[in-house]
Amino acid sequence: MHSPVIPYPSISPFPPPSRVAARLLRPRGGRALRGPSCRPVCPSGRPVVFAPPRAVMEGAAASAEGLRYAEYTRAATGAGKGQAELDRGLARTMIGLGLGVATVAFAGRYAFHLWKPLEQAITEAAKRISTSSLSSYYKGGFEQKMSRREASLILGVSPSAGKDKIRTAHRKIMILNHPDKGGSPCLATKINEAKDLLESSAKN
Amino acid sequence: AKYLAQIILVGAQVVGRAFMRALRQEFAASQAAANARGRSERPQSAAASRIIGISLQEAQQILNVSNLNPEEIQKNYDHLFKVNDKSVGGSFYLQSKVVRAKERLDEELRIQAKGDKEKGQKAET
Repeated sequence: MHSPVIPYPSISPFPPPSRVAARLLRPRGGRALRGPSCRPVCPSGRPVVFAPPRAVMEGAAASAEGLRYAEYTRAATGAGKGQAELDRGLARTMIGLGLGVATVAFAGRYAFHLWKPLEQAITEAAKRISTSSLSSYYKGGFEQKMSRREASLILGVSPSAGKDKIRTAHRKIMILNHPDKGGSPCLATKINEAKDLLESSAKN
Repeated sequence: AKYLAQIILVGAQVVGRAFMRALRQEFAASQAAANARGRSERPQSAAASRIIGISLQEAQQILNVSNLNPEEIQKNYDHLFKVNDKSVGGSFYLQSKVVRAKERLDEELRIQAKGDKEKGQKAET
């Protein structure tokens, strides 16, 4: 009696009792004929023994693959024989993690040595930025064509305010910025423009 | 499930179209602003206009100064800044514009001073 045709590498001492079960256990899709590292399965279908040396050499780059492989074998074989592959996958993950931590530590130590001149440059840049443009003021000049949003900001009312509110806000701001009292005529024009725009599109 | 996918697709299309429209409008607005600003200005002035975001002409109009007299600029700026202060009930937006106008005029004065110094040096040699 020959061993049943199981296309993925598993050394299960308990062959599935029927062909149907074998097909169920076989993973779907193209993965059936290839191991995760593209190691070919013998076309006769005999299970191929796992090759350890290559696994160790693949190291960090294959740690993700190892994880996937561990999941895949665990899902495929269920109990029992997935354990060996699981351990190898875990080992690869650990190696990968360790290498990552080592690189981060080295980079940190290097950066620590370079910190002082960097810090100076950073503080200078921050000071320049903060003094050149005081942070909370609106940027830029007036818009080419006044928008409702700009009009509402000029008058200090919400864009959906009623006509009365618009009028009172306009009067207040106009008194403050009156051209006869030293305000600039340009600003007065803008205020009037804002009031007209908001009033024309106001609901009530 | 297919209907869900269709709904998501239609939603994404609508959002994408609105986004593209907004982008195009923003681009056109910035082009118009740049054209309005960049007439008959020296290269450094044009750069200053672009950085601060307001043209020399507009800054002069806002602060109501026809010549670049530092004292007059400062006087107008102080008055307008005080008048539009939030504590008095003024509009913060207008105050910001006043501040930006003053920045632009300061920058223009600086550029002019540098240009005069270079001219003076050239005349000496």
